[in-house]
Amino acid sequence: MTMALTDPSSISNFNSMKKFLLKTVLYVFLILLLLETIVRVFHLYTEDPPRYIDEYLVEKRVPGHNGYAVTGNRNQNFSEFNINTTGFNSHREFVPTKEKFEIALIGDSFIEGFHQDYYDSTGKKIETILDTVEVYQYGYAGYDLANQMHLIKAYKEQFNLIDEIIIYLNYESDLERGVYEPNRERIAMLSSTVFKIRDNVKLLAYGSKVGILEPIKKLVTGQAFQNTTEAYENNTVDVDQSKAAQRKEQEYLENFKSLVNLYGYDKSKTTILLDSRKTKASFLAYCNENGFKYIDFAPTFESTTKPVTLIYDWHWNNHGRELIAKVIADYIKGKKAQNGK
Amino acid sequence: MLFNSIEFLLFLPLVFFLYWFFFNKKTLVQNLFLIFASYLFYGWWDWRFLALIFLSTLVDFFVGQKIYQNIDIRKKARYWLWVSMAFNIGMLGFFKYCNFFLDSFIDFFQLFGYQMKSTWTLRIILPVGISFYTFQTMSYSFDIYYKKLKPTNNFVAFMAFVSFFPQLVAGPIERASNLLSQIGKGRTFSYPQASAGLKLILWGFFKKLVIADSIAPIVDDVFANYHTYSASTLILGVCLFSFQVYGDFSGYSDIAIGTAKLFGIELKSNFRFPSFSRNVAEYWQRWHVSLSTWFRHYLYIPMGGSRVSKLKSVRNIIVIFLVSGFWHGANWTFIFWGGLHALFYIPVFLMGRNRMYAHNVIGENRLFPTPIEVLQVLLTFTLVTFSRIFFRSPSLTDSFQYINGIVTNFAYEPYVHPMGYRMSDFYVLLGLFVFYEYLIRKDERSPFKFKSKMVRILLYTIVVLAMLLFYDDGVNRSFIYFQF
Repeated sequence: MTMALTDPSSISNFNSMKKFLLKTVLYVFLILLLLETIVRVFHLYTEDPPRYIDEYLVEKRVPGHNGYAVTGNRNQNFSEFNINTTGFNSHREFVPTKEKFEIALIGDSFIEGFHQDYYDSTGKKIETILDTVEVYQYGYAGYDLANQMHLIKAYKEQFNLIDEIIIYLNYESDLERGVYEPNRERIAMLSSTVFKIRDNVKLLAYGSKVGILEPIKKLVTGQAFQNTTEAYENNTVDVDQSKAAQRKEQEYLENFKSLVNLYGYDKSKTTILLDSRKTKASFLAYCNENGFKYIDFAPTFESTTKPVTLIYDWHWNNHGRELIAKVIADYIKGKKAQNGK
Repeated sequence: MLFNSIEFLLFLPLVFFLYWFFFNKKTLVQNLFLIFASYLFYGWWDWRFLALIFLSTLVDFFVGQKIYQNIDIRKKARYWLWVSMAFNIGMLGFFKYCNFFLDSFIDFFQLFGYQMKSTWTLRIILPVGISFYTFQTMSYSFDIYYKKLKPTNNFVAFMAFVSFFPQLVAGPIERASNLLSQIGKGRTFSYPQASAGLKLILWGFFKKLVIADSIAPIVDDVFANYHTYSASTLILGVCLFSFQVYGDFSGYSDIAIGTAKLFGIELKSNFRFPSFSRNVAEYWQRWHVSLSTWFRHYLYIPMGGSRVSKLKSVRNIIVIFLVSGFWHGANWTFIFWGGLHALFYIPVFLMGRNRMYAHNVIGENRLFPTPIEVLQVLLTFTLVTFSRIFFRSPSLTDSFQYINGIVTNFAYEPYVHPMGYRMSDFYVLLGLFVFYEYLIRKDERSPFKFKSKMVRILLYTIVVLAMLLFYDDGVNRSFIYFQF
């Protein structure tokens, strides 16, 4: 180091720098400490109950966790969750019997419903409308159709007793694979020390939620520099875009067929819940031709003037969930009437 | 490289550390390292344009010598000054104004029915900061010509002066007498200076990330869809734009001044709480001070300033405001904006009130402003904000239609944020911001000047917390003045 202590001015410089660095570190530490306190006191952070893979290779939450999920930087959405003994966020335990009428609602984070108090979930709303049914919400953030089909097969005994199965299918992301493999890497990653630190230091959990850590993540993964390099390069138009889309469409359909073959599909009591605005016509046509029933909630969402999604987040808000519940309840009512139940 | 980027977050501590611990032995080494850091900072955006900075440096260094060698032969000195101006203004003209002149020329002929095709329009990018560093190098030549400065023989110091990264891309535009003299000497680390620098950086980031960036989506929405909104929303949109552009540009300046302090260099203040100006003249003594000073020294005063007849002074005022408008951008909207400011300024000048508030602030020696001062501030804010309709709109037609919307659709309707956010959050934020700026209004360089350490730590925490509370990763985080 060239800031050598050779003369009085250098010594003074060195001491000034030492003071500056020490005080900067001290102030940063104090600010972080205060911020951590504020984030905890005002519960600005969101909680993510731990996940695991059970003996049936089903990925789900560790039972018995309660807490609050928060959306938005300024607590725009604050909701309570409750992980039941089966490992899903729900107001009830899943105990199907032959006597009761049960509906299984399976899906990803939209069905898991961390954006709504668990006692006011879509399932609860359906129960309120239909009065005599029990709704079991097998929702888990990250589930695709492979997860869902595997779940039904793995919990065959439970599902044999359940009267109706509704699978929420987000066409754009849920048909990426034709066979189920538990995502052990994700579970391992979420159980790693880094993520444990993130979950315990609430300021980090909060920063991660609002996206302020994204640039750092990009830097660590090298994406930050990649973007800069890309910016200098000329844009090239992918002339095969439409062909690629066609290939994707075909691939999704094949994956659907593969999942049905591998895990079985009880057409009499299984219905897909989807948004036709985001689903390819070829897939809908295939469903129609082959007797795969589906509920399309697009017209209901289009007919409302109120927003159906949250702020800072594109998950359904309370109004969106009310509409979904009504669509499902109407469908069940119609089906019951048809079957004379 | 943007100040508010992750790259800068790594770049600054690294450069700071190397500057003070490895390259601080000799001034020459310090300056060479500053040049390297500055060129890296600028080249991160596009290294090809580094050649322009280097060329501008080379020309003005050489011209400065030539002017000084012929300082007593005014004709020759003037010739060399013209060389500097021709080069710098030529460069600006090519990159910034060429398309504007071509398009205006075509539009003009189309008025008479001649249909011309714009085959000459250039497809070029505007080099970031070109308006700032060309003005800075020109000021060097001007100062030598006006015998206010001796040229430097130290090319390395001159290179560091032109490219000094904290103020390279958006100012403050420094005069050589201030910045070059500091760069010519060795710097020693000073704790109070570095500490003040960090505080300014923090405050600058608050203004940029919290004030400017959080309201940017609202302003973008209102100006993009002005034809669908009623007067209340249009007024809200342009008022918020006033806060946005202030937060954005003064935030940048604070970060630049603070960063320079970390390297032992003092830059001139660029903003002195312009929102509290009591007339338009005071506003221009507080808003983008370095540019106003530049125009005053190198355009207004050489034209005679206010020492000529009233009529000529008015002409001079009109000229500098029109040129200032044109400096901001190659668009008639900026020229109109400048013209409007001239209109607002002239009555103040004719009444002899243009220097009235040069040395005091609102609420001087008082806790609260007087009712008269409040009215004056509101009137000034209204005028300045009105002019910003032209500043923000993409064309003159849009500006007039925006104003037309205010006049013809004079109704109130509650505004709904494009993302559905609570608008009250932003009103509370801006209210607190104005209140806090009023508290610190006497010293723009010490935003956290409170005796109690506890209060200061609490304020730092609140400022960082606000950055988290209003962070939105969907917002375009570039600085507005980069486009100029």
